[in-house]
Amino acid sequence: MSVVTVVRRAVLWVPDWPVVAAMTEAGLGAHVPAAVLHGRGLIAVSAAARAAGVRRGSTRRLAQRACPELAILPHDEGRDSRLFEAVAAAAEQAVSGVEISRPGLMIIPADGAARFHGSEEALAEALVTAVAEHAGIECAVGAADGLLAAVLAARSSEVVPAGASRGYLAPAPVDSLALAAMERAQRQEAERLASVLTRLGIVTLGDLAALPFADVLARFGPVGVWAHRLASGEDLAPPVLRRTEEDIAVEHVFEDPAERIEQLVHVAKEAAAALDRALLDAGVRCGRVRITARTEKGQELERVWRTDVGTRAGAFARHMTDRVRWQLEGWLSGTVGASGAARGPGAGAAGQVPEPSPLVSLGLVAEDVVPLGSEQAYLWGGVSGADSRAHRALERVQGLLGLEGVLAVAEQGGRSPRDRAHLAPWGQEAPPARAIAHPWPGRIPDPPPATVPPVARPALVLDAGGAPVTISRRLAVSAPPTWVRLEADPADERAQAANRHPSSGHVGRVAGPVWDRARPVESWAGPWPVSERWWSEDASRRAYVQVALRDGEDTVTAVLLAYGGGEWELEAVYD
Amino acid sequence: METAEARIARAREALAGVQRRVGTTRDRWEAPALPLTPLLDQVLPQGLRRGQVVAVAGSTSLMLALAAAASEAGSWTAAVGMPALGVVAAARRGLDLARLALVPHPGAQAAATAGACVDGMDVVLLGPRLALSDADRRRLASRARERGTVIVAEGAWAGAHTTLTAVGSRWHGLGAGDGRLRGRELTVRVEERRGGTARLVTLPIEGSALGATTAGAGVPARGGATAPSVSLRALGGAA
Repeated sequence: MSVVTVVRRAVLWVPDWPVVAAMTEAGLGAHVPAAVLHGRGLIAVSAAARAAGVRRGSTRRLAQRACPELAILPHDEGRDSRLFEAVAAAAEQAVSGVEISRPGLMIIPADGAARFHGSEEALAEALVTAVAEHAGIECAVGAADGLLAAVLAARSSEVVPAGASRGYLAPAPVDSLALAAMERAQRQEAERLASVLTRLGIVTLGDLAALPFADVLARFGPVGVWAHRLASGEDLAPPVLRRTEEDIAVEHVFEDPAERIEQLVHVAKEAAAALDRALLDAGVRCGRVRITARTEKGQELERVWRTDVGTRAGAFARHMTDRVRWQLEGWLSGTVGASGAARGPGAGAAGQVPEPSPLVSLGLVAEDVVPLGSEQAYLWGGVSGADSRAHRALERVQGLLGLEGVLAVAEQGGRSPRDRAHLAPWGQEAPPARAIAHPWPGRIPDPPPATVPPVARPALVLDAGGAPVTISRRLAVSAPPTWVRLEADPADERAQAANRHPSSGHVGRVAGPVWDRARPVESWAGPWPVSERWWSEDASRRAYVQVALRDGEDTVTAVLLAYGGGEWELEAVYD
Repeated sequence: METAEARIARAREALAGVQRRVGTTRDRWEAPALPLTPLLDQVLPQGLRRGQVVAVAGSTSLMLALAAAASEAGSWTAAVGMPALGVVAAARRGLDLARLALVPHPGAQAAATAGACVDGMDVVLLGPRLALSDADRRRLASRARERGTVIVAEGAWAGAHTTLTAVGSRWHGLGAGDGRLRGRELTVRVEERRGGTARLVTLPIEGSALGATTAGAGVPARGGATAPSVSLRALGGAA
C-alpha cells in the first residue's frame, strides 16, 4: 500500500441500489414498498418501505408486520452489477471516464470534469441530470479530497472544499469506515475493526486519525493502516477508469443462402481467422464469443460461447473454427434450441426450436474484451490438457443437444435423495444451492441410492391380503407391507400382455401404469415422516419407507418408497 | 544372405507390430490403467485398463464404483443417457462432481454424443436405453481404444472386454418396520472376453466390513441415536 497523492473526486451514489435494481427488473414503480432479502435479513429497503417502518437488517416477518404489502425481492449480485452498467453509461454522457467501485457507487476524478463543466456544483448537477434522464434513476453526488470523504459527501450531497476533508471527517463515527469498503470481505473486516475501536473508546474518525500511525499499524495490522489512512482524508490508490472497449465484431454475408454444412466449413474457418486477426490488431483477447446467424426466414439465431484459449499461435482461430462449425451444424440440422427473440446464454434452450432453414449471414462478436496479458488464470492454476479436452468435448455436445443437454451436478442440502442433487446447465453460473451444512432433520440416512428417477414413479404397496397399505396422520401403518408392485419396464412385453389380460381386473385399453408382478417384501423400515415447506404452496407431507424386495434365490432389491396423499411412489432404487 | 530363420523372425516381428497397432493382439494388451478402488481388486485383477469396454448389468452402484477412484485422481467422467443417476451416491462413492457431466437425454444424437464424450473424457458411463446400433458400438469401442477412454456401459455390449453381471445382492440392517439399510453384499459374475470360465465374486459394496458384521444382527440398537429414529421423534411431535 503505497502513499499516493490525494485526488479530488466526485462520487455518484444511488441510494439503496440493490432494491432499486430489483424493482427496475421486476417492473415495480417507486411508490411500491419493496425490499431485497438475502439470507435471513433484508439487505436493502426502498424509500417507500422505509417510510412504512421497514428497516434494513430486519427479518422478513418483522418487515411484513410493519408493512404487509411489502414486495420482497430476491438478492442477485449479477443483476445489481448488470443494471448498474446503464447508470454508468448515463454518467458517461456527462463525464469521460468513471470507475465503478461497487454496484451503486461510482467514482469520478473531479479535477478535469469540474473544469469542463465550470464548477463542481455544475458537474454534480450535470451528473444527476444525465443519470435521471438516460437511466431514469435518482442519485446523489458529492465531491471531496480522498475516498472516504467523497463517499460521505455523496450521502449528503455536499461539496467539501479542497483541504477540508480531514476536518469534515473528524466528527463522523468510526462505523462509516465500512462505507469505503468495496468488497464484502473488506466490509466485514472494517465492521469488525469499527466495533473494536468503539469498545476501546475511539468513536470518531478524528480520534482514530489522532492516534500515532505506527501504533495503529502495530495493533491492527494492514486493516488498521487502511482505516487510519482513510480517516486522515488520504487516498489508497488513484481511481482506475473504466475503459469502454468496443466489442469486436466480424460479419459474413453468404452469397447464396447456405443449407449444407460443407458450404459452411470454409466460412467458419474464414470468420474465425478474421476475428482472430481483429483481436490481435487491437491487442486484446476475449472471454466470450457471441455467434449470431440470420436465416432466410429472418430468424435471428444466437448463442454465446465461453472461451479460455489465448490468442497465441493461432490456437484461438482453430478453437473458434470448431465452435462456429458445431454451432452452425446444430442450427442447420435443427436439433438445437436457439434463442429467437430472447437474448443471452440463459435463454438458450428455453426458446423455441427453429425450423431448419438456410442461413444468409453469420456474425461473430468478441465480448468481455480485455487487453492481452491481463487475462486471469484459474484459481487452481491454468487449464491442463485433459481439462481443456474435456471442456471441448462437453461444448461439442452442447452444440449438438443445446445448452441444457449437458448438466453439471453438485450436492446440496435436502431431505429426499432427489432434493439433494443440484443440476445446472454446464458452463452456466448455477444459482446458489441449499447449504449442505444445515441439519436437515428427517434426511433419509446414508447409504444414498444409486438410482433416483427424475420424477417419482407410482408404486403399489399391499398387505398380506392384497389390500393397499396406508399410513395414518399419526404414522400408524395399517398393516405390515407384504407385497410391492412397481411399474413394469416399458420394454417388458410379458408385463404388458399380462396387464391386457381380463384377469388383471379390467377389460380393454389399459389406463394408468402397467404394473410388474408383485414382489414379496423381505424386510422394511419406517415410516419416517418428512413435512416440508408447510408455509408455502408446494408443501409436502410424506412418510418414507425403505423396503427390501426378494427377487430371487439370493437377490434382494432395496427401494425407497414414499407415501403421501393416499398414494405410494417409488422415490429411489438402491441398485 | 540371411537365413530362413532370420527372415521368419523378421516377418513375425513385423506382423506383431501390425497386430499391436491395429489392436488385434489380446495377450499383449498393455495399455496403462486408471486407478481402481481396492474394493474391486477381485473383480478386475488387471485393473481398469484404458481403452477398455466394461459392460455392467444390474447395478448402478457397481458402475459408479468403477469410475470412482479414477475420478478422484483427476479423470473426467461423463454419464450419457442416465437421467436417474444418483448424484449423492456418486459423490459418496468418491466421484469428483466438479469433473462429472451428465447428458441425460441424448435422444437421436446418442452416437454423436457418446463419440464426443469418448474423445474428451476419461471414463464414459453409458445408460441402458441409448439409440446405438451394433455398428455404433463397434465404432465407439475402437475410438475408445484409440483415445484410451474407458467405456462403462449398462446392459449387454457385444465384444466388451469384461462383462459384470450382478447376480446376487444381500442387504443388512432392515427389520420388520425398524432399522435402516446399512450394508450390502453384491455377488458379481465376471466374464472376460479373453475366455476362461466366469467367476463369481462377492464384495461388500455398501457399508464398512465392521458395519456389515454388526448390522448382520438386523436391528440397530434403540439408543444408537440413528438419524431416522431421531427424526421420527423430532417430527412426529410437530406433525
